[in-house]
Amino acid sequence: MLHGLLQFLSNHGIPQGLVIQATFYGIAGLTVLFAFLVVMSRDIFHSAVFLVLTLFGVACVYLYLDAEFLAGVQILIYIGAIMTLFIFAIMLTSDAKTRLARKIDLRIALSAGAALAIFAIFLKIIRLDAWQPQTLSPTPLGLTQIGKSLMTDFGLPFEVISLLSLAALVGAIVIGKVEKK
Amino acid sequence: MVKFAHLIPIFPFAAFVINIFFGRRLKKASALIAIAACTASLALSLWTFLGLLKGQGSYPLFDWLIFEDFTLHVGVTIDSLTCAMLLVVTSIGTLIQIYSIGYMSQDPRFSRFFAYLSLFMASMLGLLLADNFLILYMFWEGVGLCSYLLISFWFEKITAAKAGMKAFITTRIGDTGFLIGIFLLFVASRDLSFAGLSHINGNTGLYTAAALLIFCGAIGKSAQFPLHVWLPDAMEGPTPVSALIHAATMVAAGVYLVARCFGLFLTHQPALICVAYVGAITTVLAASIATVNNDIKRILAYSTISQLGFMMLGLGVGGYSAGTFHLMTHAFFKALLFLCAGSVIHSVHIQDIQKMGGIFNKMKVTGTTFIIAGLAISGVPPFSGFWSKDEILTEIFHSGHPALFVAAALTSLLTAFYMFRLIFLVLFGKPRSELHLHESPKTMTIPLIILAVFAIFAGFPGSPLMNNVFQSFIHLEAGHAAQESSPDYFIMGLSTLIALSGIALAYCLYIKQKKILPQAIRSRFAPLYQLLSNKYYFDELYDFLFIKPCGRIAKTLAGFDLGVIDGAVNKTAEIVVILSKIKAWIDTTIVDGAVNLTAKTVGLFSKELRKIQTGSVQAYLLFAFFGLVLMMLFKLIVK
Amino acid sequence: MIPQSHFLIFSAALFAIGIFGVLTRKNAIGILMSIELILNAVNVNLITFNKFLGTPNGLGQIFALFVIAIAAASAVVGLALVIAIYRNAKSILVDKLNLMKW
Repeated sequence: MLHGLLQFLSNHGIPQGLVIQATFYGIAGLTVLFAFLVVMSRDIFHSAVFLVLTLFGVACVYLYLDAEFLAGVQILIYIGAIMTLFIFAIMLTSDAKTRLARKIDLRIALSAGAALAIFAIFLKIIRLDAWQPQTLSPTPLGLTQIGKSLMTDFGLPFEVISLLSLAALVGAIVIGKVEKK
Repeated sequence: MVKFAHLIPIFPFAAFVINIFFGRRLKKASALIAIAACTASLALSLWTFLGLLKGQGSYPLFDWLIFEDFTLHVGVTIDSLTCAMLLVVTSIGTLIQIYSIGYMSQDPRFSRFFAYLSLFMASMLGLLLADNFLILYMFWEGVGLCSYLLISFWFEKITAAKAGMKAFITTRIGDTGFLIGIFLLFVASRDLSFAGLSHINGNTGLYTAAALLIFCGAIGKSAQFPLHVWLPDAMEGPTPVSALIHAATMVAAGVYLVARCFGLFLTHQPALICVAYVGAITTVLAASIATVNNDIKRILAYSTISQLGFMMLGLGVGGYSAGTFHLMTHAFFKALLFLCAGSVIHSVHIQDIQKMGGIFNKMKVTGTTFIIAGLAISGVPPFSGFWSKDEILTEIFHSGHPALFVAAALTSLLTAFYMFRLIFLVLFGKPRSELHLHESPKTMTIPLIILAVFAIFAGFPGSPLMNNVFQSFIHLEAGHAAQESSPDYFIMGLSTLIALSGIALAYCLYIKQKKILPQAIRSRFAPLYQLLSNKYYFDELYDFLFIKPCGRIAKTLAGFDLGVIDGAVNKTAEIVVILSKIKAWIDTTIVDGAVNLTAKTVGLFSKELRKIQTGSVQAYLLFAFFGLVLMMLFKLIVK
Repeated sequence: MIPQSHFLIFSAALFAIGIFGVLTRKNAIGILMSIELILNAVNVNLITFNKFLGTPNGLGQIFALFVIAIAAASAVVGLALVIAIYRNAKSILVDKLNLMKW
């Protein structure tokens, strides 16, 4: 998909690398912005909408990382399933007062400090030399390759995950059930 | 050679342990355990006896108390004296325990009684087997303790409790002397074993003193004059106890002790003479008291004292085998007498012979055995007592002390008289009060019959009829050969005559003219009667001489205690109180202050720190992230 | 091409924003959303390393798949809990839920 798009752009005289870089930084910047709005918006419903956008942005970033399958999964599961769930939960609890006047208090300042500190530390770590790539993988991972891996090398974790999903399903039903008295 | 004799006391001791701990649960089975243990001891004693006949003797066990220049070798004595005593003690012990099943059947402390009896048997057998004075003294005190426990067995009765104490304290006086005697002997010879007694030499004065002090112990234990006062009171205990401990075995321990140390006495004649005279005084004294007493058990108690004195007398004139022979025969018939008395008391529940009478018709077995025992103790041939008494009389006659012979002869007369006074008053005539007679149960009558057989035949081994086998068996090993006593028909005839005349006298007084004559005699010799029935005022004398002064001293000391010592104690206490008040002040202000200060400081801090504990999850998370940040920074900076 | 470090910076930004949200949102659902952000940041990291370090068998991607699955499971359970709490306390504001407070 992306390759098709790139092909199209290069055919019209736009250099491929420039296009890729421009789109990536645009998408990444927007995604970070959306993420920021997720945590900052007063209305929880707005947060949910921004979260959808953020997740979509992340899915796009996956494309730049040669992970088309994961991008699809991200959209299908996160946006299609998990976010639906969030919105259901918001609906079910919306009569509670969710709008809050946000004032900058000590807690928020400290939290911001912690977040920034961690970000700064991460930056410092990223700039260390140890991360420099050794070899690029010659061919991007195809869907076939992932499917084979899941069914062979990671067969057991895969089954465990399915078991975990089942447990979460049953647990959620039990927790959310209205007890009859 | 099998060394098992030291196991003999173990069985009764094991029975004691079992009965004292599990007696409540065992109930009647405790008697079976005690008797089984006793029977086992009897069997072992028999085996030991057979071994002795084959020439097996004493043997060492282990070394105890090892000092630089002295080692106490603990061993087991096995000689003819020990064996004879072992057989007597175990056989009579077994029979009396069987008898006790019936006698004590209604008692709430049934198993306790058998526990004590077992402990007594263990101590007594240990005493017999001991081969040195220290071990003997341990068991000596053991039997003393059992005697105390059993005399005051019915301690709810105040007289019984007091009798127990009296017995214990009186014997203790003798035991103190005994202990000092042992110390003297040790100082003089640095040897505590009996075997060493036969070859001591030098330092005659010290050894004589030691012998006399050891005899003190015998006086206490065997209730000789002047410490005889405890034995009659000891009759407050259950009758089987009186039979076993205060007639047959424990009181004979004194005689046994003298016999055991006979080597010492023999080489130090003054001590031996002292033994003879103490025995003579005791025997006459006790026999005369017995003639007027009216309590069936006390008569027998005085008789026991008298007979023990008789044995002492026999030993005192050098009649080692005669004395021990009488010790053996006496054990059988005196046990029998007590058991008969017990059987009678069990039936009629009174002890005053003036209220009894005519019992023979209803209690044939008891009556018959009673008469057999009476004949034996009176010295009528061919019963056992005759042979042993005859031996002693012969010894005294040949020893050259006319006064002693007169005393012995007088005692024989008195013995026959009081014994048949007892028999006639109890068994014959008409009942002088309401008596509900019934024969005792089988467990009581069978021991009576067995003992009666012994009372008849036990004398034969020492009689000329069997060539004096007993005497040649028992003779002192230490060179003192058995005296080759050809039967002395004069003495035999004389003693028979004395016995028969005593019986005849009793018959005249108590059967023929039952009412008139005794009272006439009594009024005629009123002062003498008073003297006798008050037991020569010994108790009063001791009360005046020792107990009252002791009481006075004790009161003075108590006053001293209250005034001076308590005063000092109180003053000390007051000082302590003042000191404590000072300490309390220090405690409350300084120590508590410091503690409170610490607490307040901590409180102050926590009051502030408590605010961190907001209950808000996010606040906690925030701290956690700060922690994470710090850790990462640290890692980055240090690296 | 886009260097590896830029992906990582993007991921770090998402992560920091997620943490800020977790620490400041009053609404329990908001906290859960912030957690989703953090998980996404992690996934971006995983896939970045998968690409640039050339892990065999697509380990990074598969790991990211598992993370998504677990995120789904945790979201399900978390939301169920939120609803249960709401039913009992009539509120999903975490600063109202202070039963643990001294």
